[in-house]
Amino acid sequence: MDLRDCFKYFAGRQGDGVVITSAGVTSGTWWRTTHDMDQVFYLGASMSMISMFGAGIAMGAPKLPVWVFMGDGAFVMNPGMLMVERDLNLPNLKHFLVSNRVYNATGAARLANAKRNDYAAIARAVGIERVFEIDSLEGLHSQFDKIVSEPGHTFTVLEVEPLREKPGGVPIDDVESKFRFGRYIEKKAGIKIFRHPALEPMNR
Amino acid sequence: MSDKQKEATSLIVEQLVQSGIKLVASLPDDWIAPLIDAVDKDSRFKHVPVNREESAIGLCSGAFFGGIPSLALMGASGLTTCIYAITKINYSYHIPLFIFATLRGVIGDPRPHHISNGLYLTKLLDSISLPFLLVEERKTIERIPAAFKHCQAMNRPEVVIFSEAVLLGEA
Repeated sequence: MDLRDCFKYFAGRQGDGVVITSAGVTSGTWWRTTHDMDQVFYLGASMSMISMFGAGIAMGAPKLPVWVFMGDGAFVMNPGMLMVERDLNLPNLKHFLVSNRVYNATGAARLANAKRNDYAAIARAVGIERVFEIDSLEGLHSQFDKIVSEPGHTFTVLEVEPLREKPGGVPIDDVESKFRFGRYIEKKAGIKIFRHPALEPMNR
Repeated sequence: MSDKQKEATSLIVEQLVQSGIKLVASLPDDWIAPLIDAVDKDSRFKHVPVNREESAIGLCSGAFFGGIPSLALMGASGLTTCIYAITKINYSYHIPLFIFATLRGVIGDPRPHHISNGLYLTKLLDSISLPFLLVEERKTIERIPAAFKHCQAMNRPEVVIFSEAVLLGEA
């Protein structure tokens, strides 16, 4: 499956939910697909932590769908995250593992044990009940509602081909990203994040 | 657990409540095991045991965007493993993060595997300009809410480091 096609499909169905992406092609490709800076947090250079990051949001904003797109290079650094996710079992947290079996952003070196790693089996082994494996757009179309629309934590492996051309970085300052994303959540989830309310838009 | 230790643990927990902390992510060090147990049994907190300290950093940083005041509770060794996560997430994006850790490896700690913490922990935090409050006397426990407020005002991480004597209620 081509990651760009896959993300186009997701982006078209995102609704009010938020997306967290991990460093590398996952962030770059989501940016190229959506050019969004409000409903997404591009958590650069923080490999393996985005599902925990998403869990923190999902806990505080239980009605807000939270989609996490994590590269498998990030996942293999901390698969123990799944045990914490299972313990939390947050119904609005959907964890998507973008599996291309290589470190795509840093030269496409292969992952350790790449061909044998069975990510879905790892998730099932820690007790996650709703685990999906998608390797085609047709499969994504047919399973999408089950994964996303039905309440309940899910872990979904998206098997994609490595990208030959790197998508490039995301052109936003980290701190600006924090405020844009945070303001979006404040507005949509009705929670207070920042000390001061958002300023009115500038008229000049 | 001695009465003194129970009292010290209870005092620390009350400072967390006073700070407004609602979520605690923890990974134990034997010195803070009673504190973790107290938090776990206290319905005023959501307690999340994690299996890697960096996961606590990730969870608490996300909780900031969920509007949940949080604490990452860990030992000294765990904190030293988190430098990458703290500098990449919390420094880059200016996300506040409140951390409790232990002052391991100092005089009085007999464990040889904590020597490196005694030698380097506070110097390591200084080297990345990470503010910390050293709690070596009981009266300093009451400064925890001020440290939390400072952390929020700075939009940066801040660490409270406890000596064993304070955690045991003996200082």
